[in-house]
Amino acid sequence: MRNAVLFVVCFLVGCDARIETFRPNEVFSLSLAKSRSTSTELASQDASRVVQELYGTPDEPLWPVADNNLADLQNLSRSSGPVSSEKDGTHRGLFREHCVVCHALEGSGAGPASVFQNPYPRDFRHGVFKWKSTERGQKPTRQDIRELLVKGIPGTAMPSFALLNPEDLDALVDYVVFLSTRGEVERRVTAAAIDELDYGVSSPGTELELNSSNETEGGEVVQQVLERVHSDWAEAADREVFVPPFADLSGKKLTDSIARGKGFFHGKVANCAGCHGPAGDGSLPTLDYDDWTKDYTTRIGLTPDDREAMKPFRDAGALRPRVIAPRTLRNGVFHGGGDPNSLYRRITQGIAGTPMPAVEVVSEPNGKGLTVEQIWDLVRYVRQLSTTQ
Amino acid sequence: MASESTLADRRYPGQLVHRLSVLLVCLVWPLIWVGGLVTTYDAGMAVPDWPGTYGYNLFLYPYNTWLLGPFDLFIEHGHRLLGAIVGLVAISIVISAYFKESRRWVLVLTIGLLIAVITQGLLGGMRVVLGDRTLAMIHGCFGPAFFALCAATAVTTSRRWKESLPRDGVVRVSSGLVALFATIPAMSYAQLVLGAQLRHVQPNAAPGVFAMIVATHVIVAFVLWFFTLAAWLKIRRCGDLTLSRPAGLLIGLVAVQIALGVGTWVVNYGWPSILAWVPGSTGFLVRAKGFLDSIIVTSHVATGSLILAVSVMLLVRLLRVRHCLNNPIKQTVHQQRQKHVDNSKEALLEPVTA
Repeated sequence: MRNAVLFVVCFLVGCDARIETFRPNEVFSLSLAKSRSTSTELASQDASRVVQELYGTPDEPLWPVADNNLADLQNLSRSSGPVSSEKDGTHRGLFREHCVVCHALEGSGAGPASVFQNPYPRDFRHGVFKWKSTERGQKPTRQDIRELLVKGIPGTAMPSFALLNPEDLDALVDYVVFLSTRGEVERRVTAAAIDELDYGVSSPGTELELNSSNETEGGEVVQQVLERVHSDWAEAADREVFVPPFADLSGKKLTDSIARGKGFFHGKVANCAGCHGPAGDGSLPTLDYDDWTKDYTTRIGLTPDDREAMKPFRDAGALRPRVIAPRTLRNGVFHGGGDPNSLYRRITQGIAGTPMPAVEVVSEPNGKGLTVEQIWDLVRYVRQLSTTQ
Repeated sequence: MASESTLADRRYPGQLVHRLSVLLVCLVWPLIWVGGLVTTYDAGMAVPDWPGTYGYNLFLYPYNTWLLGPFDLFIEHGHRLLGAIVGLVAISIVISAYFKESRRWVLVLTIGLLIAVITQGLLGGMRVVLGDRTLAMIHGCFGPAFFALCAATAVTTSRRWKESLPRDGVVRVSSGLVALFATIPAMSYAQLVLGAQLRHVQPNAAPGVFAMIVATHVIVAFVLWFFTLAAWLKIRRCGDLTLSRPAGLLIGLVAVQIALGVGTWVVNYGWPSILAWVPGSTGFLVRAKGFLDSIIVTSHVATGSLILAVSVMLLVRLLRVRHCLNNPIKQTVHQQRQKHVDNSKEALLEPVTA
């Protein structure tokens, strides 16, 4: 009887289509085709196949590297697949429950609700993250991602998941690392297929064809990419930026420090005012874009506001290019955290994936960088700006 | 006045049907609240089997495990229990209507009510067995329709429906007026369906489709508000408070619903750029699974159902007025019968077939 009812209901209304695969990164494939002036269709198809062999599907993820502390397969299993919960309250399908509506199934940042958000949700597949404790070009640590999940990003749609239990948070961190490594491997393997394995309109032959084993040249290239991406993540913990102790000043010392900081803010070395405006209110016009947008626009010679040129990319899933505006520093809202240590790191490293540059740390004042104390002066000025509105 | 109080005190044959229908309305709205909470907390799959609960008969599941267990289990099993009670009340309504209700179409209506509650239960069960979000969405859309049907049943089984007739000339119910009042529940239901699409969005849905649904949902909300205002202006002085008061209430409900809609967006995605002028919006932090946030989202769902039910109730009453005014012979017969009843306390009321 129950089966009959099931059949009738399914027949009448249809069921959710099972999500068998991650969608291939068509936007990157198009960018690659434009920049290399060749067809990338075959390379993209093969890269997608190989990545699926290595990383599995949205419902059944795999972790291709053994003995790696980056991600636990059980956690990946908990985070993937459809949403459900168990008798003891354990939730499964955590990524679809909490993240997918913005970050999309592949972590492309082009989820259903993404178009309404400014800035757009992060595309994990580049392996580039803004808010982290490591050097600019490095991956974030697991702790960085966890802190971001707990604290959220004020002023954006990124929520605080502080109410989730620690196991859920760990599982989500693992899944973010999974999507990021998976996406970056896909990008790099596709590029390597064109640049190193003679992929074009036709297949390069068995020896050069992409595969997940290590027995052919194509397989070796895949393994090299895999090792590189995974070791970048594994080394992140060793690449944390050292932050010297911050002195909590008061009275005249604080006033003097802020006055010096103001000088650096407007000075030639840091030149913060050049983008954030003399008043620090982010009011200066800008025509720059973040790296995620440049990937399919300016870096391949396309103008972001050229609708005709953008159409194939938009059709492939790219979000409408949006100019990146320097933040106002006057409202007390810092997306990556407003504590002194975070601001120090932001000044000395810049913000990865954005035009925000780094200021070189020098041991003696030399007109090319700022000393540690000078940077702290600047930090005090920026913090003071946000409290004087 | 004396005759009115006499009427109010007297029992009439269909009273039990009406009382059970009102009870049903009072049970279904909380049921929609709990169902909304189930979706808000993604607890729809907290009990993986159906119709039982973890192998137990629904009513025999250990109450301490239910009450002291995880919140997901608490609301999902609670939703099922309340749904089962609603089903039992629906059965009682059919039985009482069979024995006490002389109007055949009302009996058919109550049977329809029972079929609807069974269908809703099956949809909920299939959603669990198949783990299907599309079915969850259909289950979520069917609930408010069932609630509106309950409200219509409560109205049509009431004493007022059977015994009081509109005074001729006080309100003129044109086809245009009926169309206006029919548009409101139609739009309310369309809004519920659109909202369900956003709430049960598929993981691989295109951003453009989602954006289009959001835009339509927002525009239709304001159009609906305008329609409720227009409807109230048309009948605010009709002299029939059973029409003018609910019409006024609808304007307020839609206003509250729009505010709750904004709140729902804010607690899910932060303040939209169009409302960046609101103090505190630039530093607003979205908190996943916060209790207050969940209540705001669920209130939006429940208020949508309430708007649909009130607008259906209003439409049904308006159609009743129109029907009576277009059938003056029946009206005269009815009024004569009414006069007779008022003069004789012992007189038995014969139900009027309208």
